[in-house]
Amino acid sequence: MSRYDVLVIGGGHNGLVCAAYLARAGKRVLVLERREQVGGAALSEEVFPGFRFSVFSYVVSLLRPEIIRELDLPRHGLHILPLESTLTPLPEGGKGGGYLAQWSDHDQNRRELARHSLRDAEAYDEFGLLLHQMARAIKPILRMAPPDPSSLRPRELRDLLRLGRHFKDIGAKQFNALWKLLTMSSADYLDEWFETEALKATKSASGIIGTMLGPRSPGTAYVLLHHYMGELDGVFRAWGFAKGGNGSVSAAIAGAARSFGAEIRTRSPVSNVLLQNGRARGVVLEGGEEIRADVVISGADPRRTFLGLVGEKHLPAPFVQSIRRFKFRGASAKVNLALGELPNFACLPGTGPHLRGAISISPSVAYLERAYDEAKYGEFSRRPYMDIVIPSMLDPAMAPPGRHVMSIFVQYAPYKQNGGWTDERREALGDAVIDTLAEFAPNLKSAILHRQVLTPADIESIVGLSEGNIFQGELSLQQMFFLRPTPAWARYRTPIEGLWQCGAGTHPGGGVMGASGRNAAFELLGERL
Amino acid sequence: MIGGGVDALVAAHLLGRAGRPVLLLDDGSDARDDEGWVPPQIPRELGLDLHIKRQDPWAAVPLPQGGMLELWHDMGRTVEALGRLSARDAASWPEFCARMAAIARLFERLYGAPPANPLSVGLALRVRRLGRQAMEDLMRLLPMSVAELLDDWFECDALKGALAATGIVHLQQGPRSGGTAFRLLHHHVGSSEGVFRSARSNLGAALRARPGVEIRNARVERIAVREGRVAGVALAGGEELAAALVVSGADPRRSLLELVDQGWLDPEFARSLAHVRRRGVVARVIFKLPGAARVVIAPSLDYLERAYDESKYRRVSSQPYVEVSAGENGIEAHFQYAPYERADGTWDAGRRSELGELTRRVLSGHVPGIAEAEAAVLAPTDLETRAAWPEGQAYHAELALDQALWMRPLPELAGYRTPIQGLWLCGPATHPGGGVAGASGRNCAREILRAA
Repeated sequence: MSRYDVLVIGGGHNGLVCAAYLARAGKRVLVLERREQVGGAALSEEVFPGFRFSVFSYVVSLLRPEIIRELDLPRHGLHILPLESTLTPLPEGGKGGGYLAQWSDHDQNRRELARHSLRDAEAYDEFGLLLHQMARAIKPILRMAPPDPSSLRPRELRDLLRLGRHFKDIGAKQFNALWKLLTMSSADYLDEWFETEALKATKSASGIIGTMLGPRSPGTAYVLLHHYMGELDGVFRAWGFAKGGNGSVSAAIAGAARSFGAEIRTRSPVSNVLLQNGRARGVVLEGGEEIRADVVISGADPRRTFLGLVGEKHLPAPFVQSIRRFKFRGASAKVNLALGELPNFACLPGTGPHLRGAISISPSVAYLERAYDEAKYGEFSRRPYMDIVIPSMLDPAMAPPGRHVMSIFVQYAPYKQNGGWTDERREALGDAVIDTLAEFAPNLKSAILHRQVLTPADIESIVGLSEGNIFQGELSLQQMFFLRPTPAWARYRTPIEGLWQCGAGTHPGGGVMGASGRNAAFELLGERL
Repeated sequence: MIGGGVDALVAAHLLGRAGRPVLLLDDGSDARDDEGWVPPQIPRELGLDLHIKRQDPWAAVPLPQGGMLELWHDMGRTVEALGRLSARDAASWPEFCARMAAIARLFERLYGAPPANPLSVGLALRVRRLGRQAMEDLMRLLPMSVAELLDDWFECDALKGALAATGIVHLQQGPRSGGTAFRLLHHHVGSSEGVFRSARSNLGAALRARPGVEIRNARVERIAVREGRVAGVALAGGEELAAALVVSGADPRRSLLELVDQGWLDPEFARSLAHVRRRGVVARVIFKLPGAARVVIAPSLDYLERAYDESKYRRVSSQPYVEVSAGENGIEAHFQYAPYERADGTWDAGRRSELGELTRRVLSGHVPGIAEAEAAVLAPTDLETRAAWPEGQAYHAELALDQALWMRPLPELAGYRTPIQGLWLCGPATHPGGGVAGASGRNCAREILRAA
C-alpha cells in the first residue's frame, strides 16, 4: 500500500485547489471523492438527454485570479464567457418601460438608468468607485489565515499587528465605510444612494443569496462588495459562465492537480478519520480500506468533518458545542429547465442580447422582503426571488440545436420547510417558480420540455452540504474571518493534530472562490500567503 | 445649552461647576430622562442624592398555560421560577448572566468616555484583558441577532421573549435581525448580574432642582454662525442671545440641518447627516391606574418577529410587544411596533383610540383594573411634538451597530464636536446613546473643558 503525505477528503473545488498547491510543492497527495465525478457543487451533468446543466452552482465570479494564474487553469480547459447584462423585468403597469437593465457597457448602462432616474444614473459611478475601493481594501484579508485575536503565539500576534496596520493604512474614512457595509442591511445602505426600486432590489438581492436573511436584515450589505471584487482584477468580468458549465471549473482544477502529480480517486467515500493517540493518521473508507498519511485535510463542511468523520467523543466538549451552533440554514433551491424555445419576456419581447445575461426577478425590495417573511416561518416563498441564466445562449453545446437550458436559482426555500421536504412539496416549489416566472415570460410553460427541482434537502443529500447551505455555513458576520468556523480554529487547523480543514466553512467562505483551499495549503506548507 | 433632556442638564451643571455661566433653554421636551443607568460619576461629581427605583420582579411574563414567569433581582428566586418551566434553562441562567455581565462591564467603561478609536492599541488591550471567553463572546455577539443568542442558551419561549424585547426596544428591527444582541448588552449596562431591565431614577428632577444653572423655557429657532464660529441663538419670539459656546441636546439632524444655515456645512457631510436613521416605532399608552407590576407581553421570539414584519410595511402590529411600567400619572404601556408613517394614512383620533383599545385588550387579564381605566394615547407623531423625539424615535438616532460607538451618530460627530466651531452636541443621538442617562452630557462637558 502506498503511503501519502496528504489525504484530501472531498473533491470539491476547494479540496482540489488545496491538493493542487500541495502537489505543486512536492507533496504526495491523494484526493478522495465520494461521488463518481469530482466537483462537489461545481458540476456539469447531462441531466436530460442532450441537455447539459451546471446542476448546482452556475456562474463564476469570485474564483481568485491568483489561482487561475498560478494553476494555469486556462491551459487545463477553463474558458470563461462573460455575462454582459442583468435584466430585471417589472410587473405589468409599472413605469420605466416595464424593465430595468444593467449593462457592462458604461454608456449604455448610464442611458438605461437615466431612463428611470437621472439622480441614480449620476450616483451609480460614485457608488461603483466607493465599492471598488472597499473591495480593494478587503482583498488582502481574503488571502490571510485569520489570526486568533486572543492568541499569544508570536506568528499570530504578528498577523494581528499586520491586520491592524492594514486597517490604519486604508484610513479612518474607508474603515468606517467598511464598518457600515459590514453592519447595515443592503436595503438601508442602498437607500442612501438610489431611488429606483428595481435597482435597489436587484443590487440588494446579491446580499441575500445563500443566506437566511432578508434585504432589510443588518449584515446583508457586505455581500454587495462581492460583485465588485471580480471586476477589479482585470482577469475577467464580475460575472461569467464557464464554457461547458461549472463542471469545467472543477475539471480544470483537477487537471492542474494531476499535472503536479496529485492522485484523485472517485467513488471513494470516507467513513471516518483514522485516529491514533489523538492524532490523525489517515482515513478509513466506507468499504473498510485504510489509507494512511501524515496529514488529513477535510474539504467537507465543519459539521460533517467534526461531528461525522471525526466524532464528538474525540473532541473537546466546548469545541463540539461551537461546531453544533455553527449555522447552516440552507435558504435556496435550484430549478433547471430544458426548453424547446427561448422565453419571451413581455417587457422586452424577442431574443435580444438581454437573454445572454442574467435575469433577476427582483422588482422591489418589498417583494424580496415578503419572500423572506414566508421562509422565516418555515414556508418556501410563493413568489420567490430568482436569478436566471440561459447558458445555451453563450455555449450552444449545452443543448441540442435550437433548444435551450435555463438555470434558475431560487430563494427562499428553507431547509427546515414545515412538514419536511416531500416529493409533493418539491413539485409545489417547482410550480411556484414556474408560475411566477410565467407572469413575466408568458410562453415559458409551453416551452418546458423537462424540469429538475432541487430543494435544500436534495442539495444536502446529493452534494453533502449540511442543510443545503451553498456556502458550507452561513456567511453572516458572526461566522466570518476568525470566527469561521469557530474561534481559535480559524487557521485551517483543528483540535486534532494532523487534521486540517480547507472547505468553504473556513475563511473566507463560499462562492466558488477557491481561497479557502489555497489559504489552507499555504498555511500547511508554512509559507507566507 | 439647548434642550431639556437629562444630558443637556448634566452638561450644563458640569460646565457651571467649572465656572462657566450657563443658560439652559428648555424646549419642554420630555426626553424620558428618568429611565436608564446613571453612571455613578454623575451624582458623585454633582453632589446629587439620587433615588433609584428598581422594580422587583424586574419582569412578569404571562404564560400561555396561565400564571406568570417572574424574573427577580435575586438569582436564586429566578432560577427557582425558571425551574418550574425548564430545568435546562434554570441550569443555564447563572452562567448566561455571568457571561453577559462580563461584557457589559467593558461597555460600562467604554460609555464613561468619548468613543474609543476602534483601531487604537488601548482598546485592543482592554478587550484582550477580558480574557478568552468574554472576548470570544464579545466578537460573536456584536453582529448577532438576539434570537440566535437566546436560542443558543434557552428553550423557554416566555424567557426568550422577555429578554429579546430589550434587543429591539425603540428599534425598527426584529429579534432575528443582526445587531440586536448588541442592544441587549447595551441595555444591560449598569444593571446587576441577572437583571435585564434598567432602573429609573429622579436624575432629571434632581438636576432641575440643583442651583447653579439658569433655566428658561424657550424654543430655539436658529443657531447663529459667523465666519464658521457659533455666535449665539435666536429664540422663537425673535430675541437673540449671544454666546461663545452653544451645546445642543436636540437631535443632530435638527441641530445642524434645521437650526444652522446649511451654507456652513460641507454638502457631503450634510448628505450623510440627512441619512442618519431615526425611524420611530413606539406608541405610549397611559392608563389612569395606581400601579402595576412590570408586565411584559412578548410571549416568544416568533411573536416579536411577526410584530416587526408588519412594521416593515408601515402597519401597526396587530399583536404588539407591550411592556408596562409605573409612570408619574398612572401606568405607562410601551407599544411596539407603531410606525411613524402609516401605510393607511395619518395618526388621527380614531386610529389613536384603536391603538389604545388594542393595548387594553392585550393587557386585559394581566393588569388588574385595566378594563375600566381611562387611557391616553401618544402616537409616534405625538411623541415627536411633545417629547421632541424626531419621527418618534426616542434615541434621536437609531441605536444600530452602524450608528453606535465611534459611528454615533456619524464618525464626524462622534467626539461631540461639530464642523461649526463652538457648537457641540450631546443627547441620546451621541455616544453612548439612549438608555444611558446623562453619560453623553458628562462626556461632552468634559471634552469642552478639555478643549478649553
